[in-house]
Amino acid sequence: MTELLVKNACVIDPLRGINAEMMDIAIRDGKIVEEVSDAAEVIDARGMLTMPGGVDSHTHICGTKVNFGRYMSPEDMRAGRTPRRGPLHATSGYSVPTTYGNSYRYSVMGYTTLLEGAMAPLEARHTHEEFIYTPLQDTMANTLFDGNWAIMEAIRDGDIKRVAAIIAWTLRAVKGFAVKLTNPGGTEAWQWGKNVSCIRDPVPYFEVTPAEIIRSIVEANELLGLPHSVHLHANNLGTPGNYTCTLGSLGLIPDLNEKRQTLYATHVQFHAYGGSGWKDFCSKSEPIARFVSMRPQIVMDMGQVMFGRTTTMTADGPMEFNLYRLHHEKWSNHDVELETGSGIIPVIYRRKNLVNSIMWAIGLELALLTKSPWQCLLTTDNPNGAPFVKYPEIVALLMSKKYRDAEFATIHPDTEARVPLPAIEREMDWYEIAVMTRAGQAKALGLQDLGKGHLAPGADADVAIYPLHIDEVDPSAEYQKVIDAFSRTEYTIKRGRVVARRGECLVDGSNATFWVRPKVSENYDMGKDPDFIEKFDRYYTVRMRNYPVQEEYLNRNRCIETEARI
Amino acid sequence: MKVTLAMKPAGKWFIPIEAESIVPKNFLAGTDLSVWRGNRELRLDDVFSVSVEGDADRAEDVEVVLSGETFRLKRVGEYMDGGRITIFGGIGMHCGNFMSGGTIEVHGNADGWLGREMAGGAIICRGDAADYCASGYRGGRKGMTGGTVEVFGRVGDFLAENLAGGTVTVHGDAGDMPGAEMRGGTLVVHGDCSRPGANMKGGSCYVYGTAQAMLPTFRKIGTVRHEGRTLIRFAGDIANRGKGNLFVKGYEYLD
Repeated sequence: MTELLVKNACVIDPLRGINAEMMDIAIRDGKIVEEVSDAAEVIDARGMLTMPGGVDSHTHICGTKVNFGRYMSPEDMRAGRTPRRGPLHATSGYSVPTTYGNSYRYSVMGYTTLLEGAMAPLEARHTHEEFIYTPLQDTMANTLFDGNWAIMEAIRDGDIKRVAAIIAWTLRAVKGFAVKLTNPGGTEAWQWGKNVSCIRDPVPYFEVTPAEIIRSIVEANELLGLPHSVHLHANNLGTPGNYTCTLGSLGLIPDLNEKRQTLYATHVQFHAYGGSGWKDFCSKSEPIARFVSMRPQIVMDMGQVMFGRTTTMTADGPMEFNLYRLHHEKWSNHDVELETGSGIIPVIYRRKNLVNSIMWAIGLELALLTKSPWQCLLTTDNPNGAPFVKYPEIVALLMSKKYRDAEFATIHPDTEARVPLPAIEREMDWYEIAVMTRAGQAKALGLQDLGKGHLAPGADADVAIYPLHIDEVDPSAEYQKVIDAFSRTEYTIKRGRVVARRGECLVDGSNATFWVRPKVSENYDMGKDPDFIEKFDRYYTVRMRNYPVQEEYLNRNRCIETEARI
Repeated sequence: MKVTLAMKPAGKWFIPIEAESIVPKNFLAGTDLSVWRGNRELRLDDVFSVSVEGDADRAEDVEVVLSGETFRLKRVGEYMDGGRITIFGGIGMHCGNFMSGGTIEVHGNADGWLGREMAGGAIICRGDAADYCASGYRGGRKGMTGGTVEVFGRVGDFLAENLAGGTVTVHGDAGDMPGAEMRGGTLVVHGDCSRPGANMKGGSCYVYGTAQAMLPTFRKIGTVRHEGRTLIRFAGDIANRGKGNLFVKGYEYLD
């Protein structure tokens, strides 16, 4: 039995409605408890800002795509080199660091739970293997269903229960956590050398539209009772004028779940563009934020762009091809058989570039214009908008109008006429930041009942203590102090153990992987469905029995069983 | 100030020595420097007989003279910003990486990556240079951005890859793919080479000999006079916007 007592912590815990109360946090065997014995080890937080461990609800850190980003960018590995030290492994890389690099840097910022944004089911083993080497965060993976042949056939036949059954079988087989749609239909069209322009374009051969895919899968997701909603990367990412398509996609979503949203729209910054081309490119964050504010069934994340170099990587193959034609730099394109695809190119976002400057403003506007912080979460779609190490700067930008104005003065001068940002006075407070970086994310992912994102007794003892006294720092003026504090925790506690202290990781941890196993009736077990088996064996390059990821690939195994209504 | 470093015979050791500390400005504070052999840190006088004549206040007044089995030394002159290094013998890989000023003269052959990503200064190699002379780093966008590299012998493959500025002159032949991914600067090859300028998008590449296996993605424009020679001018690489200039004396396409 190990016990730990964090004393004199200034706690912000939004899921319990606690806003800056001085309290003690008792921890026993990796869980928060009511009280501990006198023998407990004591940490004196001395009134410092204390929050549940950070949760990143959309990041790309593990898997074939990320690894290919490393592979094609040896120059990225020149940055961020640290030698092996004590229990720590050597790290390297900036926008696509090694798995240990990701894990240590997230930990130093107080993050304890990460969701890999896109895992191709066929390549799930790679993702799970890299999860094992991301030792200081609990992990889970969104599983891609955007171009799944069997699902599109079931949608064409109007059989939602079969859609749900295929999702259930696949999630269980690949140890996935949630359903991800990346440019639904578009990734399959890309395998025919085409794309879909918006939600009403039929996919070649299958003759279903993205709108049908989104709506059917949202319904199937609720039939299965999954903890997280459908996670949508909408069609038409990154094209001027795409906000109408985004509004159309969001408008498809009914309110089907009382506990959480029905749709998580990811990196909406990339989907909030106005104009008819790059020449009249402008921000359309206002209609999007207004639309989302009126619909509690939708949660989005920012997908904030920050200036500097990074690597874009997504399952959205056709979009990456368009990006390649703009940049003419190196490009990778990948096809995943009956499932999806992917593309990668390295980019540099520049202040002197008008389009990049507008993109930077849009992400901030979405966060500031959406009324409830529970509906717009803080991400950069790491590493697509920027590497996650920029999160502290984003926190400071949201908290300080002065900092935003100072940054605004350094970007392209024509930006002002194209974006509403300079007129927005809102400055977020500590509580809202806590929502946007942990509580809101845990709630959106459906993790709060699994003990994430809050500090109630019974929760996982994941705690971040930042070296900052909120009554002494004025975030709107002293934004540098905010950046410094959020870049480097005083203590990061993971499962009841101090894993990072003042910018140094201390231990080689052992993470847990969350995955779901929906319980479906015998009739809907796709492992016994003759038609599914026949098509699987005919079209895949692997045999069906070799496809499932064995449980040996998981480190600590946190299987979530759900009762499906099929 | 003249620093003479005569290498002591290594005996059976042929492990390269990482000598990035051998840069003129480092000798302003004395000769108490270290180099690495594998994972062992060695003092400068473990490896060299060191002698110093005169003194200096600035790097520009320091000359370092190396002799002996100098081909075992890697990364000599890395990040050098002034002064002079003279090498009587061959030099190992990565000599003059990132240098921004001063002069390195090699009286022998240079191994790979001579003057990688240099930004200024001059490198003169009296012998041959191996692959990736005056090039960029793996995966990087920009290679050499300024300064001059002159090689009197032959060079290996991927000469001046990713060249973005400065001048590279080779008096002998070059290997395969000189000027690949060039985006600026000037590359002059006095001898023959194969497949020059692949995927270039800027700068000028001159081949005074024959360009073998000439790439079909260059558009012939006509002949021009250049420094007393008649050269055939091409624009390309049209596979990549075609804003580069390639001038050759003669060329042969693959059959």
